[in-house]
Amino acid sequence: MSEKSPPTESELVDFVRSIDVPAPPELHRRIEAMVAAGAPAGARHQRRLRFSVTGALAAAVVAVALVLATSGGGSSTLTLHTAVALTQRPATMPAPSEGADGDETLAAHVEGVAFPYWEDRGWRATGERVDRAGGRTVTTVFYHGPRGQWVGYAIVAGTPPPSVSGGHVITRGDVPYRFTVTNGVKVMTWLRNGRLCVVAGHGVSNATLLSLATGAGRRADAA
Amino acid sequence: MRTLDPQSLTKHVDRLYRAAWALCGSREDAEDLVQETFARVLARPRLLQGDDELYYLMRVLRNTFLTSLRTASRRPVKGAVIEDVVAADPRPTSRPEQAYEVQEVYQAISQLPDNFRMALVAVDVLGLSYKEAARALRVRESTVTTRVFRARKQVAAGLTGEPAQREQVLETRREGTGASGVSYSEENPP
Repeated sequence: MSEKSPPTESELVDFVRSIDVPAPPELHRRIEAMVAAGAPAGARHQRRLRFSVTGALAAAVVAVALVLATSGGGSSTLTLHTAVALTQRPATMPAPSEGADGDETLAAHVEGVAFPYWEDRGWRATGERVDRAGGRTVTTVFYHGPRGQWVGYAIVAGTPPPSVSGGHVITRGDVPYRFTVTNGVKVMTWLRNGRLCVVAGHGVSNATLLSLATGAGRRADAA
Repeated sequence: MRTLDPQSLTKHVDRLYRAAWALCGSREDAEDLVQETFARVLARPRLLQGDDELYYLMRVLRNTFLTSLRTASRRPVKGAVIEDVVAADPRPTSRPEQAYEVQEVYQAISQLPDNFRMALVAVDVLGLSYKEAARALRVRESTVTTRVFRARKQVAAGLTGEPAQREQVLETRREGTGASGVSYSEENPP
């Protein structure tokens, strides 16, 4: 527009009002998943709202806290705090099915990096969610272990990958696995085909996280 | 008074995305903002006055945007930070010239003072009436009129880039600077 004659205010208004750029299809898909996942919970809460003002206020506080804790401020920087917080949110989609190739992967992947199939090791995929934070898409698959443990396995899209610092590093097969505690949760980060992977676990040891990621130990490490 | 139907919200995603883009000046941040806005709205049942939910979405979008600005300004830089690298936008466009103009105009809007930006986005980008915009922004209708009028002048002048108009822009920006939601002393359109 600036390369042409300067716009008058009425031309500017006409132009702004004529813009019909649609939202990206992936954003549509995420919003539809959120609506599908959120509507039943909302309906349940609505019934409680009629009888419990205290409950409604508590829910509002929790909702605001959740937004503050996980939004990353809407800034263009993705923090480890935010990435881990996303793995603590509930799934919004069903678990991906087992991959067709029989190569111990699920059908879900991020830019060619597939999520692992761990069911033969006692860890079943139970759900999935996709988020957008810091200008990146973060896809998380949730796995539940044989004794009630669970992990959120997130793959951050985009290369070059974000860099992570802090914690301590254990190297297996030339791959450095970094362990930190973020938001009170044990977290392991590493790279797969140049994409950052973040696994946050509940009720699991660092050794279990490592053995799951490296494929060592098979079923015995599910404990 | 009626309860907001979450299913009805999906039809507003495109318009809300454009509004968020104009607020942020970036498509990537706009996606984050729209998603957080929907997360807030869906967090609990919402009671609406009137039939149109778009003004309500604009209100939540505004609040989410301002909260994100405040949170970002307070957040300390810690050791375990992932340093984000801005990736090239993979989405192609069939009309690159228009895409450039849209980006240029939205970028100019995003440079406005908060109050002017909110008013222009509500009226011209989102398509609310002045009355609806006033409800969304919790200000008087005459205030919206004033802010939209001045915001349009600033954006047009900013795109023109003429020195005399730039001075006027700066002068107007000084008048418009201030916390969002605070009414100005001059409420009548010039």
